[in-house]
Amino acid sequence: MIAAITGIGWVSTESMGSGRHHQILQSKDGKLPTLTSRMVFGEVSPHFGRLDAYSKLGLAAVTFALKDARQDQWDEKRPAGIIVSSIYGCLATDMEYFEGVIANGGSLASPNLFACTLPNIFLGEAAIRFGLTGPGFTVNEREPAGTEGLGLALCGMFLDENPMMIVGTSDPGCPALFPYHVEMTIGALFLVLEKHPIDESLSYGGLDMTREGEVLFNGVQIQSLASLFQRCLPRCVR
Amino acid sequence: MESGRTEIEKVWIVDANVVTALGKDLKGTWEGVVNGVSAIREISRFPVEGYYARMAACIEGLGTSQGRSMITALLGSLFANMRPVPPDAALITATTKMGIDNLEKLQQKRPAHAPDILLSCLPEMVSQKLGLQTTGINISASCASSTIAIARGAGLIASGRAETVLVCCADVVTEFTFSGFSALKVVSAFPCRPFDRFRSGLSLGDGAAALLLMSEERARKEARPCVAVVCGWGASNDAFHITSPAPDGSGLVSAIGQALSRSGLNESAISAVSAHGTGTVYNDLMELTAFRRVFGGRRIPIYSAKGNIGHTTGAAGGIEVALAARALAERTVPPTAGFNAPEEGAQGCVSASAVPLEGDCCLTTNSGFGGINAAIVLERGGDA
Repeated sequence: MIAAITGIGWVSTESMGSGRHHQILQSKDGKLPTLTSRMVFGEVSPHFGRLDAYSKLGLAAVTFALKDARQDQWDEKRPAGIIVSSIYGCLATDMEYFEGVIANGGSLASPNLFACTLPNIFLGEAAIRFGLTGPGFTVNEREPAGTEGLGLALCGMFLDENPMMIVGTSDPGCPALFPYHVEMTIGALFLVLEKHPIDESLSYGGLDMTREGEVLFNGVQIQSLASLFQRCLPRCVR
Repeated sequence: MESGRTEIEKVWIVDANVVTALGKDLKGTWEGVVNGVSAIREISRFPVEGYYARMAACIEGLGTSQGRSMITALLGSLFANMRPVPPDAALITATTKMGIDNLEKLQQKRPAHAPDILLSCLPEMVSQKLGLQTTGINISASCASSTIAIARGAGLIASGRAETVLVCCADVVTEFTFSGFSALKVVSAFPCRPFDRFRSGLSLGDGAAALLLMSEERARKEARPCVAVVCGWGASNDAFHITSPAPDGSGLVSAIGQALSRSGLNESAISAVSAHGTGTVYNDLMELTAFRRVFGGRRIPIYSAKGNIGHTTGAAGGIEVALAARALAERTVPPTAGFNAPEEGAQGCVSASAVPLEGDCCLTTNSGFGGINAAIVLERGGDA
């Protein structure tokens, strides 16, 4: 086994939270919840309010996953990295930013909004909040399965690059008025992978990887992050 | 597959090419860089009257047709001078904004091919163009995107998950990115001056690179030349600030430390550094601090190509690794264009003239928004 899954966090149209503490959402409109810092961190954070929707979504699911793994509290920075897969990423923010450039002229463009037009920015936010000094990057693949990012994380852990990785998908979906739609499930799902879990009882199961790059969960090949989540669900409690 | 440091494959770069404003291939770009030529000019691609700065290194005549992004034209030039890529190669691309020029067109009610805007379109384009079996993936990590793509490609080979990986990166200068960096007040009004005391920001640039990585065993079987060996790689996050680097350089020091550890070398084996060297006040200071922490009092040659080709954002790392491989082969440390009055700590390290490269290994580094840092250790190829 290369790593154990010790934490799961997600935000979907139906529920949000972590594997060991999540809530069913009452909204039935098929939209993602409007996230506030109190919902995510249990406290007011003005900084969270300034983030774009894509960043809030991803940061919320990362936070829930770290809480689930009991890794949300820290004294010293640790070499844990984050990999997120996304199709549309921050495209809605890109569109909003460039609307401002057109309307006001480039010289009046918003620097704060521009900073959010890089899809890896929220990984930096998570790194600051949780003291994570491992690499953080976005993976974009044609199919929204999320397994490529998982494979890269396991490959790095196999090479002893990082003892802990947070891997997942985050996608607010196709922005309104954008003319190219990809079939996908909107929301965010992150897993905490630990090479040497401090508390084995937190493990949902073990991940491994074949030389051909297939990802195995408890010895069974998985096709997507969503199917991996389904396999972990029996151990999730509400 | 058991974890550990055994069974690690050696990773060769067996082919490399770049396209920049300085040259349509690696040879042309290298010749410009080593002769201190700058391709940074006043921008004519979009109106710049409203901006305080008006310069970038744009490839002249980089046209588009049928609503496609400028990236498609860039890729066309890139693969023209490369040997065939094996169809079974894994594919990792890197870009920060892909076809963002097409988003500009759409929002200005002009015809544009919308799929070009998605970052996942870059691997699709490359895969189709080269007839690869994989659809590939893209990695985006701001200005360290392609450095991390190379690191992950090397990781796939080192761990035995792939025998050969094509890393391809591209980004272009658009009003979108130019206005954003201008709004952040980090664009220089004149061609950028990396590590110069009077630097005042970066100059953007168009660029693309392709590097074919291969396990030593496969390369020998195919009689591929060894352009350079990727000996080590590392990546880290500052966990300090979203757009400002950690002043103590701790994140970059960590990435360099990982790269050296992976390579099995210590810092004394490094003969030159290809720095990120954007020409922004804080980035260059941070890098000089980090290099001082790694190399101590040693006056190691440090250079930046950004005064020549501009900052090519997501493509910077790939282009700079290709140039560093060339520097090792030519045994020459290129000059830093725009450098004149040394910033404190740059004296005796950064030079306005080319100097001999005495040794076999070179370090390349990149850092970016989001606090990301990445480092690669290269060893001279040929007789590797």
